[in-house]
Amino acid sequence: MLSCAEFLAEFGDYLEHSASPEVRLRLEEHLRECKTCTVIVDSTRKTIRIVTDSDSFTLTAGEVEPIVNDVMARIRQKTR
Amino acid sequence: MSENTAALTAPSDDDGFLAAYGFVPNLFRAQSRLPLAVAAEQNLIHAAVIRDCRLTRGQKESILFSVADARGNDYCRALFGSATQDKPPHDSAVRKFVVKLALHAPWFSRHDVATLRAVGFHDEAVLEIVATTAVGQMLCTLADGLRPAPDRSLDHRTSGPIAAAGPFDWSEDREGPYLGSQAHSVDKLHPYNFFTKEYGFVPNLYRVQSARLDLVEAEIQALTQILLPEDFLSRIQKEYIVLAVSAANLNTYYVAMRGQILSALGGVPLDESDQIVDDHDQSSLSVADKALLEQTRILAAIRSSGNQFEPDRLREHGFSEAQIVEAVVVSALVNFLNTLQAGVGAGPDFPPRRDFGRKDLYPFPGKARPIFDVKPLEDPDSDLVGRVQGGDIDVFEELVRRHSRRVFGALAGILGNLDDARDATQEVFLKAFEHIGTFQGRSKFSTWLTSIAINTGTELLRQRKPVETLDQEDEEDFRPRQIQSWTDNPEEFVVAAQRDKLVREGILRLPQKYRVAVLLRDISQLSTEEAAAALQLSIPALKARLLRGRLMLRETLSPYFMRMENRSPDA
Repeated sequence: MLSCAEFLAEFGDYLEHSASPEVRLRLEEHLRECKTCTVIVDSTRKTIRIVTDSDSFTLTAGEVEPIVNDVMARIRQKTR
Repeated sequence: MSENTAALTAPSDDDGFLAAYGFVPNLFRAQSRLPLAVAAEQNLIHAAVIRDCRLTRGQKESILFSVADARGNDYCRALFGSATQDKPPHDSAVRKFVVKLALHAPWFSRHDVATLRAVGFHDEAVLEIVATTAVGQMLCTLADGLRPAPDRSLDHRTSGPIAAAGPFDWSEDREGPYLGSQAHSVDKLHPYNFFTKEYGFVPNLYRVQSARLDLVEAEIQALTQILLPEDFLSRIQKEYIVLAVSAANLNTYYVAMRGQILSALGGVPLDESDQIVDDHDQSSLSVADKALLEQTRILAAIRSSGNQFEPDRLREHGFSEAQIVEAVVVSALVNFLNTLQAGVGAGPDFPPRRDFGRKDLYPFPGKARPIFDVKPLEDPDSDLVGRVQGGDIDVFEELVRRHSRRVFGALAGILGNLDDARDATQEVFLKAFEHIGTFQGRSKFSTWLTSIAINTGTELLRQRKPVETLDQEDEEDFRPRQIQSWTDNPEEFVVAAQRDKLVREGILRLPQKYRVAVLLRDISQLSTEEAAAALQLSIPALKARLLRGRLMLRETLSPYFMRMENRSPDA
C-alpha cells in the first residue's frame, strides 16, 4: 500500500477526478485505511471550491473601464 | 574509405560557405567565437543538403525553405527563399511531411513515412528528407537565438498554407525504426566505433542511418565539436541543455538516453535528471543553470508560447557572450538530433523513465488536434484579433475589456501587490498591441496574453528584488500539518467579503511559483494545459506546483473552516 508521502505526491489528478483508473484504485486503497489523508483530500477539495468561487482577484466593472480607456488612449496616441 | 565517407571532404572555414552560397551568411559570422562548431554545422549542411544523392540540392533547399516558412523564421526564409526562387515547389506530399516533422514531431509515426513510400520515395530518399528537415530546424534555432541581420531581402513567397499540415489523428503505430534497420553488425566499424568508445554502446539513432555513413560521420563531428569542448560552457551544462530541450520537444528517446549519459558522465542521479525533465526550477541546479535551461527551452523546436530567447536574462546571471552563443548552438544541435530521431523513429536504447505520449500533447480526451500552429477552433477571440491585425485598432478595446481581469489576476499572482498589478495590466495590453502582428494563433489569444503578463510581471519583480530572491522561499520541508476535518459547507461559514479577504491574503502569502500556478488555474480558470503553456512548464511540473500551492493554501485556511469541535479557542 502507498505511504502517506507517496499518496500526497500523487493525489493531484485524483482531486480533479482525472486520475487513471489504476492510480485511483491505489489512492482509494490508501484512503480506506488513512483518516488523515481522507481529511486532507476533503479539505483540499473544499479549498479549491472556495478559491474558485471567490472574487479575491477580480477587478470590478468600475476598475476595468478606466484601464480600457487609458490603454486605448495610449494606443491611439502612439498610432496617430 | 567507402563511397559515402569519401564525400565528407567538405571545405571548412569561409571557403565552404563561399562555395555553397557565394557569401558567408551572417548566421555563421555570429558564431565566430566557436570556429569548431561552425565547421561542424557546415559539415552537416554539406552531408545532408549540398551533396546530391537521391534528392538534388535544389529539392533539399526547397525543404529548408518550407521549414523556415512553417516556423515563421524570416532570416532563413530570406536565405533559402532566394536559393529556391527559380526552382519549382517540391511535391506537396513532401511539404506536408516536412512541415509536420518540423512543427509537430510528437505526432509523427510510421504512417507518415509510409505516405512518402506510397508516392515513390525509397528509404534513402526519406532519410535525406528527414535529415534536411533536421538541418532546417538547426538553422532556424540558430537564427532564433542569435538574431543575425538578414543576408538578403526577404522573399515573401510562401510554400503553401501551413494549416494543410493538420489537424492530425494520433497514431499508435510508433514502434521504430520507421526507416532502415537497427543494424547490429556495425559496432566495431568506423565511424561507429566512436560511440563504443565514448558511450559504451552505439545508439539506435545512428544504427538506422547505416546507409549514409557520411551523414553519421558529420553527426559525430557535430557531437564532438559542439558538445565535448569545455572552453565556455561545461560538458555537464551542455548535457543539461540537451536534456531540457529534448524534454521540451517531448522526445522520449533523447530524454532517456541523455539521462543515462548524465548519470554516467557526471554522476547526476536519474531522479535529478527526471526533475530537470519535469521542472528544472524544482531541481537542485544553481540559479544560473536554471536560468540557462529556462532560456534554452524557449529555443525548443516545439514551441509552447510566443516567448523569445532573451540573452539579457543570461547576462544577468553572469554568462559571457561566448557561453550564450554556445547555449544557442547546443540547443540548435538538440533540435537537429530530436527531429532526426522523430523522423526515422529510432527505437529506445534504454527503457524510458518518462514516456511522453498523447496526454502530454493534447489533454482533452476524445478530441485529437495539435495545440500548435493550427488555429484553435474554440478561440473566441480569433475574429477580433484578425480585425486588429488588419488595422482596425478600435476593436482592440473589446479585447482589453474581455481580458483585463485575467491579466490582472496573473500579475497579482506574480507581483503579490494589487496596486502594482493594476498599473502593470496596462503595460501588458500595450505590449500585446505592439506585438499582435506576430501572433499566429498557435495558442489561444488569451494564453498568449497571459504569457506576456507573466513575462512583464517577472520583469517587474526582477527590477524590484535581486534575482536570487525570486524563488528563495524554503518550502522543501512542506508537509500538511492541519489535519482536522473541515465543516461541511465552509462557503457558508463566513460572509463572502471575509472569505474573499482570507483567500486573497492566503494566496498572496504563497511562494511566487505556487501563487502563480494557483492564480492561473483556480482564479483565472485557465486549463492545466493553458497554464502550463503560459508558464512554459511541462504539464506534470504545473500540476506539481498547483498541488503544492493548493495544499499550502489549505493549511492557511484550515483554522477558519475546521469543525467547531476541533477549534482552538484562539482560532
